[in-house]
Amino acid sequence: MESSYIIGSIIVAMLATYATRIIPFLLFRNREPSALIKYIELNMPVMIMVILVFYALKDVKWESYPYGMAEIIGVGVAIFLHVRFQNALLSIFVATLAYMILVQNVF
Amino acid sequence: MSFLQIVKLTIPVMMGYIPLGMAFGLLLSKLLIPWYYAFFMSVFIFAGSGQFLALTLFASQATILEIGIATFLLNLRHTFYGLSMISAFKDFSWRKHYLIFGLTDETFALLKTTEIAEANRERVYVWITFLNQCYWVIGSVVGAMLGNILPFNYQGIEFSLTALFVVLSIELYKKNRLHKPFFVALIIGLFGMVLFPPQKMLILSLCLAAFVLIVFKRSMENGK
Repeated sequence: MESSYIIGSIIVAMLATYATRIIPFLLFRNREPSALIKYIELNMPVMIMVILVFYALKDVKWESYPYGMAEIIGVGVAIFLHVRFQNALLSIFVATLAYMILVQNVF
Repeated sequence: MSFLQIVKLTIPVMMGYIPLGMAFGLLLSKLLIPWYYAFFMSVFIFAGSGQFLALTLFASQATILEIGIATFLLNLRHTFYGLSMISAFKDFSWRKHYLIFGLTDETFALLKTTEIAEANRERVYVWITFLNQCYWVIGSVVGAMLGNILPFNYQGIEFSLTALFVVLSIELYKKNRLHKPFFVALIIGLFGMVLFPPQKMLILSLCLAAFVLIVFKRSMENGK
């Protein structure tokens, strides 16, 4: 692979990524965001986060063994621990450990 | 907020970014691309799925224009993140350009859920973004240089990012005045995961969520 091709691609990918991140800031640079924008700003994050959970699970093969059991248990552990103890690090750490043990040794 | 507290906050992202970055570096080295390009890509692009996509396109010899368009479409979801950060970044200095540049899924998640005193906010935000990028850069360089010879079995460690999103969903649910958007997003996410093609699932679900949020504004605000 030629280095000019790789370098050109990196620059283009950088600009394309940065563009997606700066668009809203350019749109609302000089005016006060409307009530609707404030409403979106307030309520969109929780929706984004929930959808990211499902996005992270998008490649799970639900129809064949082990039917995503490791993922379901992992998410279950995270929810249980977090509702119970409200310690983010603990919930994430234990859930990940449980998941790793499951995919490496059980399924 | 002390530096140690900030580091502690970013540990879940570290647990995800280092192995994921290593997977990226490993894939890059398998395409026989020199390791320092892993460094440049992670420093200048800093988009997880975007960089994996770039590798796939390298492998199929896509044109530079195609790479630009595909990356733009894949990362279009970040526009929604920026939309949620406009007032948060409004009074920041030039450093906000780095914050905007570094607004990945995970960085956005941390920034949006961390409660910080106003006077400290810019500094803490910059550190969170910078630490996250360091983990990503370290992971990708290590993966590109020695991913093939590491003996440690870290299969499944990327689940820490899933767990992070789960935990932050609960946090935002508790923080949000309105609770309906959370349940609507559960339905949309499930629907999107089952019915949308995997590569387009995120952007399509986010557009649908934004659409429902706006069109049903009144019923969202009714009750609780």
